[in-house]
Amino acid sequence: MTAAHRRVAVLLVAVWAAASVGVAWRALRGLDRSARSHEALALARTLRGTTPVPAWPAGLTSGDSMAVRTEETPLVVRGRSGELITAPVKDADDWDIVGAVGVAARWRERAAAVALPLAAAFALGAMLLVAVPTVAGSGAAALAAGAAAILGSAALTTGVRLRAAAEALAPAGGDAASLDRLALREPSLALATLALVLLAACAAVAIGAVRWHADTAGRPVRVRETLGAWGFIAPSLVHLAVFTIAPVAFLLWISVHDWDLLASDRPFVGLAHFRELGADPLFWRALRNGLVYALYVPVTMVAALAAALLLDQPLRGIKVLRVVVFLPYVASTVAVALVWQWLLHRDFGLLNAALAAMHLPRVDWLGNPATALPALMLVSAWGQLGYMMVVYLAGLQAIPASLLEAARLDGADAWQRFRLVLWPMLRPVSTYLLLTGIIWSFHGFTLVYVMTEGGPAHATDVLVYRIYQTAWEFRRFDVAAAMSVVLCLLLLALTALQWRTVKGEPADA
Amino acid sequence: MAALSLSRLVKHFAGGVIGVDDVTLTVGDGAFTALVGPSGCGKTTILRCVAGLEEPTSGEVRIGGRDVTWLPPRDRDVAMVFQNYALYPHLTVAENIGFPLKVRKTAPVEAARRVRQAAELLEIGALLDRKPAQLSGGQRQRAALARALVREPALFLFDEPLSNLDAQVRAQTRAELVALHRRLGATMLYVTHDQVEAMTMAQSVAVMAGGRVLQEGPPMALYREPASLAVARFIGSPSINTVAGRTTGTRFEGALACDARVGACTAAVLAVRPEHLVLGPAIDASRASVVLVEPLGPESLVRLRLRSGEDLVARVPGEASCRMGDEVGVRVAPGAGLCFRAGDGARLA
Repeated sequence: MTAAHRRVAVLLVAVWAAASVGVAWRALRGLDRSARSHEALALARTLRGTTPVPAWPAGLTSGDSMAVRTEETPLVVRGRSGELITAPVKDADDWDIVGAVGVAARWRERAAAVALPLAAAFALGAMLLVAVPTVAGSGAAALAAGAAAILGSAALTTGVRLRAAAEALAPAGGDAASLDRLALREPSLALATLALVLLAACAAVAIGAVRWHADTAGRPVRVRETLGAWGFIAPSLVHLAVFTIAPVAFLLWISVHDWDLLASDRPFVGLAHFRELGADPLFWRALRNGLVYALYVPVTMVAALAAALLLDQPLRGIKVLRVVVFLPYVASTVAVALVWQWLLHRDFGLLNAALAAMHLPRVDWLGNPATALPALMLVSAWGQLGYMMVVYLAGLQAIPASLLEAARLDGADAWQRFRLVLWPMLRPVSTYLLLTGIIWSFHGFTLVYVMTEGGPAHATDVLVYRIYQTAWEFRRFDVAAAMSVVLCLLLLALTALQWRTVKGEPADA
Repeated sequence: MAALSLSRLVKHFAGGVIGVDDVTLTVGDGAFTALVGPSGCGKTTILRCVAGLEEPTSGEVRIGGRDVTWLPPRDRDVAMVFQNYALYPHLTVAENIGFPLKVRKTAPVEAARRVRQAAELLEIGALLDRKPAQLSGGQRQRAALARALVREPALFLFDEPLSNLDAQVRAQTRAELVALHRRLGATMLYVTHDQVEAMTMAQSVAVMAGGRVLQEGPPMALYREPASLAVARFIGSPSINTVAGRTTGTRFEGALACDARVGACTAAVLAVRPEHLVLGPAIDASRASVVLVEPLGPESLVRLRLRSGEDLVARVPGEASCRMGDEVGVRVAPGAGLCFRAGDGARLA
């Protein structure tokens, strides 16, 4: 280790020590402000409608300067024996302040709450110091662990104290169960976990940075290149984080909470929404419809391959024909849906006119539960054919002509050339089309939305449409989120399958 | 095995491009003939017409006396080795070699025996379970060869099979192909743009240009007695030296001079092989300055510039006695000058 690295390590340890002291000091002074304010406020709200608090419960002390405040934020009042956290309690009309709830924090309790995890953190730090070769790395790791432990324990002790206060208040008229839940609800635990994760991430970054610095010492070009590379990646990384990772995380969060647009209270409910889905026959119906609907993909692929083989001829005007086959894919899905709605119409539709001309009975394609889903599959197939054909065409043209010539010389007839050479060589293309096709089929929303609205009798109710309806028509965002999670897992499994098959392909010779 | 004969073969492509222009050529039973020429000369088109991958505009292709001009490739009993090997990437080496047998519905046991036999012959028996992507260029070449010979065709076609190999493997494979030809006694038509390959491997070489066969014959005959300036220039490395001048009937007069009994007084081009230039004192000889000496070990190449401006190359045994910048005399070895008519390049003497 060079002197420079030793300096960096010492610096990091110093920062760690300072941070530890700071964290400990803040914990002693009431670091858990966020947990405190949240819980006390919620407690105050839940207690609306109670009769005035007759007296401070046991364990609370009132200081000289204590006063009831009208704003709905808790107030920290410093008394002789420590801090008192208070929040106003209002009446049922949210009009008058009828009392206050408070929690006392005592020096001795706090010191105990902080000392234990601090000691643990220092022990952990010492262990890491021995285990991890870079001093600075272990210092950062110990800092992370220690700070997380302090944060967690401080937050937890607040939760415990609030619970005690709630229990003491309960007989005065509040709903004991809800108070209990509030006090025990563990945003404090979540906070501790979050802090732990964040600090671990910080520690990892710190360790990585120090190691990287040690690796690249004396190689400024490498440093510049790496920083430059990260600089180039950064915009898309930020984009990914903001528009993909964050929404997904939010979705997951919603799916395990009672989430109402209007209510401010959104308690954690675990997997309740998923259990609700499991018991909902319409959910299973939508899932089954989606699976049936996805069958249009392999059927269209066969047609697309046939079209690609036909359009792979060096004929005059073949390009025009290719464009024509591709056109439906470019057309707006809504426009396509409207045109097909007309084509399939019971009374004015072209299809039924043709049937009538042949003296066959008219069919209400979109109005009959038996034909509605197949009709949608037909429209999807028509729309996707061009795209799949183009992909197959590209696949065909990527196969060297000499391979087919070799096969001709080797004695293979047209069918053998297709079966033994073309088809196996197109397999990666087919796998790609099949899996992406199925994934897209599960995303199919526009056709259902425009043509059938999931009807008749839920015959065309697919998962995405069901999610939309649940969220925006039934206002059950949490259940819709749970459904989205299920859909997401389904598609993730398919994608994993696709990756595996693509990776399994041999490289072209 | 069978003889191949092309008679008056013509191939026009769309847009009026002439690929093959009236070619008549015979490859005897068990013979090894090379088609050689610059790219675009029509040699590959001939090969593809023989294979059945192209339909000729007119003319006739006969294999073993049978007219196959309009037969599909699979009915011609020919095998072809492609420049890029054309191995099926999704099949193992064994499956690749066995492919012709599989599509012809050969019994699996018999097919497996013949695949093994072909693989042993080409020393790739240990690679049978690999995919083409896992092979080196030389190994792919062998696998492609094994696939060609596994069904014992009447005729082998080679389309520049060595051009994707590096120099060392290429030289080695050249010798092995010749040995293989001797061993199988098969009829082979070999297309290449590399005259060294053609010269070293083939029993007979056909030099092509502009869709026509300029001259056909044993390699050394082409080298010694080229029928035209184009053939003289194409065969031999380094290229033959040329000097413009006139013939007087008995002599060629120009920047170089030599005896040339051509019986005609006309504008002509003298062509002299590098080994037929004699360097000596500048008395009674054309003067030239030495531009560069390239020692190759057993011989040296001396690059010269005549006073009149023409560049020449002389090949001298061992180490050259001259140095860069020297002034030397250049003479043509007696009887070694080749005279061609200026203009159409036809041979005078």
